[in-house]
Amino acid sequence: MPTGLDKLQHIVVLMMENRSFDHMLGSLQVVDNRIDGVTDQLRNPDTTGAEVKPQPLAEFQGQLNPDPDHHFPAVDLQIFGGNTAPGRQPNMQGFVKSYFNQRGDVKHSQKIMYYFQQQDLPVLTTLALEFAVFNRWFASIPGPTICNRAFAHYGTSFGRVDMSPFDILEPYKSIYTRLVNATPKRTAKVYYYDTTSSTMEVVNLLQNQPELFGTYEQFLRDCDQGILPDYSFIEPNYNDHETDGGEQLANDQHPDHDVQAGELFIAEVYMRIKRNPKLWASTALLIVYDEHGGIYDHVVPPACPPDNFTASANNTGTGMEFKFDRLGVRVPAILVSPWISKGTVVNRVFDHASIPGTVTKFFLGDYAARSPRELNADVFIEPPSSPRADCNLLSLDSMRTDCPEFDV
Amino acid sequence: MAVIHVPRPSRKAMNPHRPISSLLLTQIGHLQHAERRLPLRYRTKIYTHAIRTEAEAAAYIYEVTEAIHQAHADAADRRAARPKGKGGRKPVAQARKPKRKGGKKVATSKKKKRSTKKK
Repeated sequence: MPTGLDKLQHIVVLMMENRSFDHMLGSLQVVDNRIDGVTDQLRNPDTTGAEVKPQPLAEFQGQLNPDPDHHFPAVDLQIFGGNTAPGRQPNMQGFVKSYFNQRGDVKHSQKIMYYFQQQDLPVLTTLALEFAVFNRWFASIPGPTICNRAFAHYGTSFGRVDMSPFDILEPYKSIYTRLVNATPKRTAKVYYYDTTSSTMEVVNLLQNQPELFGTYEQFLRDCDQGILPDYSFIEPNYNDHETDGGEQLANDQHPDHDVQAGELFIAEVYMRIKRNPKLWASTALLIVYDEHGGIYDHVVPPACPPDNFTASANNTGTGMEFKFDRLGVRVPAILVSPWISKGTVVNRVFDHASIPGTVTKFFLGDYAARSPRELNADVFIEPPSSPRADCNLLSLDSMRTDCPEFDV
Repeated sequence: MAVIHVPRPSRKAMNPHRPISSLLLTQIGHLQHAERRLPLRYRTKIYTHAIRTEAEAAAYIYEVTEAIHQAHADAADRRAARPKGKGGRKPVAQARKPKRKGGKKVATSKKKKRSTKKK
């Protein structure tokens, strides 16, 4: 068994907001051509019929205003280019058209194709090049935040494709409930930034199991003291606010929040784990975005086995029902551990259902009461006993000593 | 490996007066849903339909999140204080007086209270 896998005790997931793979990591194609990023051949038509190329002109703030639409009908247009005919095929040709719908400004609509240069994002791009970057990690649903985050917590959105509160339907339980109810008991926590930012997992978990929640400040302390739970889920700060401790800048990277604030936050999480040698040796950190936020990506989301739910034509807003049989747009995802080879590029398909899928399989083993989508989702860490242990990303026999450090 | 510099955000990035996004609007809606299930004494007096800016959203989010934690903490206190044994139990609702008097919370929680200042 690989040493890193043997030592692994903690899985930490940091889920950021609303940026696509090409937008954040597309520039890395020229650094390492195994990374499926932006190329000269990519185009999207605007509403005049002119072809718009992706350009490295993304700005940290003030550019994507209004917030690009990423509700189900808009994402349908982005993926299928406006084709609603039976038997249609996804072509990723509707991003500029979709953004045009919000302001009616052709020039502004082209900004949806902009991406960051490597040097703009030293944290995310360094981690991607130094550890494992996923070429095929997709949002779980071609839709907005809440239903996509639900997949990360429950392995399903219980049939929702929108932002409304949802009811937990038996037999599916959150990954946190599964862990704390297990025998032997496991530990899990959702660390939200602070009570003024709170959680996007409000209605169910916070109401019923507030003991599962901690703040980011507590996460920092838990790292220092080496008492992180088996599984941690970190939420960024979702709003600009002031506390007794001073100004708290939103760091979720949701447009129009500052992207550099998010970079700093990611670096802080990484460094806090890394500064505790025992924790660093026994932790895998997944950095992932909940959905693409309406921003361009060129990879067609694949079809997938359907869930046990169907969203009605009325609920999707497209005039067509949705059986949860296609993934959402591709998002950035990076797995960090000193047991991962530098420059690992993963081409297997993942989505957010892979998160509870992996955590369950690693800490609990067989667990039947899970959604079809979760049961079908690939896992990013194989348990030591798995026959697929050779797929493990934590494959090194000795721990790396050349991992990057950031000045945070 | 050399330490990599992480550029700090511009001071202009902070804007608590920014109009709320659909995400924050949704979060407010979810918290309002949760707030309706709280006992009356824990509910805020904030009119959510009038929330326009991130600072206003933050103030509401803070109030409701704290109230949910406080309601659970108070219930745990009552549970712990409940006499054990036959016939010694009081109905939960009568076990302790409400923590809130005159619309203000009485600090009983071990948690450090953080205030949200409005600009």
